[in-house]
Amino acid sequence: MSPEYSASLRRKIDEVAARYPKKRAALLPVLHLVQREVGWIAPDEERFVAQVLGLKPIKVREVVTFYTMFLRRPLGKYHLQVCSNLTCSLLGAGPLLNYLQQKLGVGVGETTADGRFTLSTVECLGACEQAPCLMVNFDYHGELDRDKVDRILESLE
Amino acid sequence: MDEKVLTQHFGLEGLYRIEVYRKKGGYKSAEKALKQMTPAAVLDEVKRASLRGRGGAGFPAGVKWGFVPQNVPKPRYLCVNADEGEPGTFKDRYLINHNPHLLLEGTIIASYAVGIHTAFIYVRGEYEAVALRLEGAVAEAYEKGYLGKNILGSGFDLDATVHRGAGGYICGEETALLESLEGKRGYPRLKPPFPASVGLFQCPTVINNVETLSNIPFIIQNGAEWFIKKGLPKDGGTRIFGVSGMVNKPGIYELPLGTNLRTIIFDHAGGMKDGKKLKAVIPGGMSAPILRADEIDLPMDFDSLASAGSMLGSAAVIVIDSETSILDVLKTVAKFYSHESCGQCTPCRIGTAWISKIVERLARGKGERDDIDAIIRLASNIKGKTLCPLGDAAALPILSICQKFRQELEGDLPRA
Amino acid sequence: MPKIFIDDRGFEVAEGLTVLQAAESVGLQIPHFCYHPAFAPEGSCRMCLVEIEGLPKLELACSALVKEGLKVRTMSPKVVEARKGVLEFLLADHPLDCPICDKAGECKLQDYFEEYGLFRSQFKEAKEKREKKFKLSQNLILDRERCVLCNRCVRFLNVITKTEEAGILNRGTRAEVGIFESELVNNIYSGNLVDICPVGAITNSDFRFQTRVWFLEPSESICPLCSRGCNIYIDSHPGFPRTARARRVYRIRARQNPMVNFHWICDYGRYGYAYLDKGREDRLVWKKGDRETRLSWDKASQILTEKLRSLLELRKHSRIGVVLHTNLTNEELFLADRIFRKGMGVDRLFLADPPPGKGDEFLLTADRTANRRGLQEVGLPVQAPDRRGLSGLDLLLIFGHYLDSETGPADLKDTLDKIETKVLFATHKSSLDSLVDFVIPVPVLAEKSGTLTNVDGRVQTLAAGLAFESDGVPEWRALLDLAKELKVEPEYPWPMTSPASIYRALQEEIAFFK
Repeated sequence: MSPEYSASLRRKIDEVAARYPKKRAALLPVLHLVQREVGWIAPDEERFVAQVLGLKPIKVREVVTFYTMFLRRPLGKYHLQVCSNLTCSLLGAGPLLNYLQQKLGVGVGETTADGRFTLSTVECLGACEQAPCLMVNFDYHGELDRDKVDRILESLE
Repeated sequence: MDEKVLTQHFGLEGLYRIEVYRKKGGYKSAEKALKQMTPAAVLDEVKRASLRGRGGAGFPAGVKWGFVPQNVPKPRYLCVNADEGEPGTFKDRYLINHNPHLLLEGTIIASYAVGIHTAFIYVRGEYEAVALRLEGAVAEAYEKGYLGKNILGSGFDLDATVHRGAGGYICGEETALLESLEGKRGYPRLKPPFPASVGLFQCPTVINNVETLSNIPFIIQNGAEWFIKKGLPKDGGTRIFGVSGMVNKPGIYELPLGTNLRTIIFDHAGGMKDGKKLKAVIPGGMSAPILRADEIDLPMDFDSLASAGSMLGSAAVIVIDSETSILDVLKTVAKFYSHESCGQCTPCRIGTAWISKIVERLARGKGERDDIDAIIRLASNIKGKTLCPLGDAAALPILSICQKFRQELEGDLPRA
Repeated sequence: MPKIFIDDRGFEVAEGLTVLQAAESVGLQIPHFCYHPAFAPEGSCRMCLVEIEGLPKLELACSALVKEGLKVRTMSPKVVEARKGVLEFLLADHPLDCPICDKAGECKLQDYFEEYGLFRSQFKEAKEKREKKFKLSQNLILDRERCVLCNRCVRFLNVITKTEEAGILNRGTRAEVGIFESELVNNIYSGNLVDICPVGAITNSDFRFQTRVWFLEPSESICPLCSRGCNIYIDSHPGFPRTARARRVYRIRARQNPMVNFHWICDYGRYGYAYLDKGREDRLVWKKGDRETRLSWDKASQILTEKLRSLLELRKHSRIGVVLHTNLTNEELFLADRIFRKGMGVDRLFLADPPPGKGDEFLLTADRTANRRGLQEVGLPVQAPDRRGLSGLDLLLIFGHYLDSETGPADLKDTLDKIETKVLFATHKSSLDSLVDFVIPVPVLAEKSGTLTNVDGRVQTLAAGLAFESDGVPEWRALLDLAKELKVEPEYPWPMTSPASIYRALQEEIAFFK
């Protein structure tokens, strides 16, 4: 049984697709919309998007697997993305990552048992002046130290 | 000479709102261009201003616009490159967050000059806040008649759409950006043909960086000569330098082209943090070959850095202190390019992964003396042989680190 | 015609070619993996990098266009170093599978290593482990460790079949060829993926581990399974006679023909080669009651000649029937017309063919016979072999094993029982064997010389690549022998002794074949 997608999602998809001369060009925006609604892109979502945009599902999967922000499995409520690139490394991203692993009891790529946090490393977030940086879902946090990390985690329910 | 251009109003609250922007003279240049100048005149002004691309490659913007054929019966497109993925770079984020309408105004003038009626602003996926701010500005611009049909009664139409990426450094490369915009994997294309003739949807396309376009309103308002005086004869205008790393005041600094690198680090950015000593500087984003501490007395412009064996790139200055192990730097650099390689061409796909594995083995303490030579050999096999510039972007920094810090890297490595 | 220089040798080449194509046109090979003449240049393998005078970096031969005065170096130290570099990269990520890989002996990676490589590996790291037996289609296995990501397979499915079942998943060194879930590659041209894969990444499961390619002899032939006449190679083991072992032919490959099938063949033709070896008629036998006597063709033709002569002398030519089929060569159809119709006055000529199938807009025709156009151009007047048509016959010559209760009368056995003498010329065993008096084996088209006319009217030549190892003779030989004895041989100023001489006659008499 294929899943139902909300009318508002379908409407947003139609609006987005209308801005491009070729439907396929709406693939990334549409995948973002679907991921925001469903949480992650499973084969059902790939089929749905393929059908909406007139593509073969494999062409959707080619794109989903190329870009790091498209999730192929469900993550915790808060995706903690620690920048592991140069400036952040210079300013202590390594120890901070270790601290998070220790504090949450998970390794990189893993989710806490209560489903709240998934810990990942990412490449340069473009906020090097605030290094070391962390992106929680879409929110940037910089100038981190252990205390600030503690406060951020506490604020996330 | 020290007057800010791009960042002049950055302290102003609400600058991102159209009423505030207009109160500061915003959209007057667009009006001037659309109503008092021909497209050819606009193009000519930008050419004479010697505005070089601010994304990294430094190609003259006016020349690039001039490559677009006007007699081809196909739509033309403008793609704004807001993918800002070059490690160390964050200036475009600042520009859009503080002054999105400046970018839009530059977009409108550029589109007018080249006869483009559809613009896409490709924002990297991680910059959600930036994309939202930009979408807000676009909505305001439509509302007030600066986008859409018959802008300001000039008869010129322009549609603009904000398009989010989804995580891929390679999509900052102009042809990979086009592929990504077309809904495909971010695979760079073979050149020739160049995007000016065969670009988005196989139509003539201009791709410009955010900072490049943000300069356009000032060029139109104040003229090419004024712009050149702000910089250098063949390199007009200011640059926004992004300084990060082990400095006291990391951030953006808008300065004339040709400003000395030592001045940028020690005067503007407040010098070394916590009293640490300088070991190395990456002057133009991670893809720029590294400079030793004794090499930083040079003017920051395209030609001077090229002569020094590096590049101005995205003007992102990363300051490395002497307590940082160069092996760790090399590991981060190698891992980044391997991670971001699109995988299309042999040398980059396999070479960056191989180098990364060697460096990881070195970091685990299982290195041998000939490993550095191996890395140099592999990087030399990538350099100049790949389908797109990412190959060189990986090879050149890695080569520079191995060559300039060879002693430290070889250190205690046993002979093979 | 621009003049270019390759390694200091001057050549005049055609306009608009790439350096690689221009070099090939004068017999020079520039090594490459991802380039394929059926697709636009890809430029990703980087193997074809060459030095072009005046340009600072090495350039891709597959995409650089020729122009007047272009000077190319294909063997300079820079080029050699670049080639070795690409080989080294590919081999670092490649399993040491040659001893067990089907592609050995026809693998570009092996060939180029032998020609341009020959270095010791300096790769000290652990090789990537990837899926080695991924099921790509019903017949195809993908070995991801061997894949060099030339992208030819994906491009074929995008551009040629337009079925788009495959794609490249993941990024960088994790990139791999994949399909969606279990939606296998499923089109009738999928076998071409094996031909175009430059290494042993995509292999046929039916050829897997069967033999080594250096034991095989390729013979050029034409696929007879539809009217397209795709050009093929039949790869057989020359040391294995069909009659001694179950298997002689190991595989069919596409043979390039830009006017017929380009670089491709369909899977029916590719995988349907069992008929070449299996179920063949081997013994020429004469059945009388319960007795079966094995005869030579000479003896059999004597008996047949007598039977025919006795009917013809009594002016009973209307009691002779001939069932023909559309898999005969142009020469054989021509002889059938001139000998039976013209020479003997036989007017009961029937046609029984394999049933049609579904055709497509690419290569496969709905008509599953090899020479329909030939039949039409020769102009043989044929009728359906129904009950009425077959009644009142004393002698029926049946060519082909296609006469059954579908193509012929529903009560085939009864109808045939009423005919005194039935002679079967067939390639394969069938139920007709028990209904006839003479069973005469004949060669399949791959074992014959002659010509066929394809659906577009193109005449293509067959050269007998496989040996005919049964009793019996080709139909054209049989017809000529019978005609000679009965003195109804068509006469020409040259001796009619071979298919080539028969074709000359065809050209003389029928405008189409001139």
